[in-house]
Amino acid sequence: MTRSITLGQYIPGQSFIHRLNPRLKILILVLILVLLFLLETFGALLASLATALAMFVLAGIPFSYLMRGLRPIFYIAFFALIIYFFFTSGGVVLLRIGFITVESEGVEQGLFIVARLVALVLFSLLVTLTTTPLSLTHGMGYFLKPLRYVGLPTEEVAMIMAVALRFIPTLMEESQRLMRAQLARGADFETGSIFRKAGNMVPLIVPLFVSAFRRADELAMAMEARGYRIGARRTRMHEDIITFKDWGALALVLVLVALVWVLSL
Amino acid sequence: MFIGTEKLTHTYMPGTPFATKALHDISFNFKQGDFALIIGPSGSGKSTLIQHLNGLLKPTSGQVVFEGKNISSDKQELLRLRKRIGMVFQMPEEQFFSETVFDEVAFAPRNQGFDDNEVENKVIEALKKSGLDPDELRMRHPFQLSAGQKRLVAIAAVLSLNPEVLILDEPTVALDTAYRKNLFDLLTGLNHKEGLTIIISTHHLDEAAALANRVLVLKQGELAMFGPAAEVFGRREELYNLGLALPPVTEIMHGLAEKGMPVKTSVYTLQEARQAINEVKRRDRS
Repeated sequence: MTRSITLGQYIPGQSFIHRLNPRLKILILVLILVLLFLLETFGALLASLATALAMFVLAGIPFSYLMRGLRPIFYIAFFALIIYFFFTSGGVVLLRIGFITVESEGVEQGLFIVARLVALVLFSLLVTLTTTPLSLTHGMGYFLKPLRYVGLPTEEVAMIMAVALRFIPTLMEESQRLMRAQLARGADFETGSIFRKAGNMVPLIVPLFVSAFRRADELAMAMEARGYRIGARRTRMHEDIITFKDWGALALVLVLVALVWVLSL
Repeated sequence: MFIGTEKLTHTYMPGTPFATKALHDISFNFKQGDFALIIGPSGSGKSTLIQHLNGLLKPTSGQVVFEGKNISSDKQELLRLRKRIGMVFQMPEEQFFSETVFDEVAFAPRNQGFDDNEVENKVIEALKKSGLDPDELRMRHPFQLSAGQKRLVAIAAVLSLNPEVLILDEPTVALDTAYRKNLFDLLTGLNHKEGLTIIISTHHLDEAAALANRVLVLKQGELAMFGPAAEVFGRREELYNLGLALPPVTEIMHGLAEKGMPVKTSVYTLQEARQAINEVKRRDRS
């Protein structure tokens, strides 16, 4: 069950990519995504794919995680390929089945789009796999800060997100424990029609809600006891300090984007 | 072998960077009618181990054995097995989901496919076996009961399966002394009168020590000791080093023995202690 959610699943490590400042990491990711849209040749795209793979190796992420992360876009890629192959005209006719033709332009465009998609996902995956969900939310919260001037309580939103993320594994564990407990009492979660299955989930959902509300109550009380107040300014135990290395990485990517823009590869 | 394991090893999330070995090479067996304890400091793998005994967790390697046969992974057979080996989880009242005590206890027999009459008989029998008054409680909301009553209802909810083995994970957690005593009296009764094999995991030896006849000690997922209760409790120093204190009465008797009073030290209740001391006094007089 825990295995199906790769997004937001952090893999601990000590690599350069792991240690990159989360705020700058997000900024760099955005720049790279822009860069990927600026690229116009196959060569450049393949180079960026190779870079992404090299960074996965550097970060020490097992190959299986990479594949698992790509699985959700498999179907999108597959249908994109089919549509481009069969419905884009131009270039040399490569294959003819009755009145349907596959032409070289379509093949080229289809492969290009899919390669770009894979590169986009790989770089995003790299960020979520090497950054703890908590520092990721803090990073996002930083970029949301300007919205405070239009009345959005950004600090509180960031806190809500951090708490939600913090409790995902806890609730997962709890639901698995509950499932086993009800299985021990002869519950059946797998067989039957969809309505039956939904009904069978009651012994799981009710206790899960009860404990979630109890946890929320306890957490609120504990936070208040430690002086948490809505609207108060907060300091952090682990301040995210941007080092020379972080600036260096950002500069490198900026130069790369500028180069690509100027040369229009 | 009635119930036990052979070279059982369990790894959580194998094949990922998060893989953790919870149990390593555990072999033991309990006999029918045993009152067995599985003790160890928290995090030593007690819960993981007992969830293997009725097939809720599957071993990464090794076997779980019941009545001389390996537990199979066939779904129908597992269902039958879970009926014979009842399991009460830690804080079992957190699993409640029904609006009445009756429905809560009836969950298991209904899942077994009994008709309404049989279900009712089984619920009433289970409540009585757990020392509760069916007429008073059956229509009450389970969340309104006291902590001790909730725990008993949770046990009744498993007893309604008429199991031959009853496994309880830390059954006394968050119960006060009176309810703890009540619970152990109940378990002793089930063990003696109904012949139920009882397996309890705990890190708190007090009341349980006097009742157990077989004890297994876990240490960081490995089998540290296994044998008859008297033998395991005799290794006081080792238990102490594992952070497992014998009951205070036993410690006092050891203290007396060290001061030169020739008392028996394998004593786990006040009553036994009184007898042992009186015996020494009598011998001194004569």
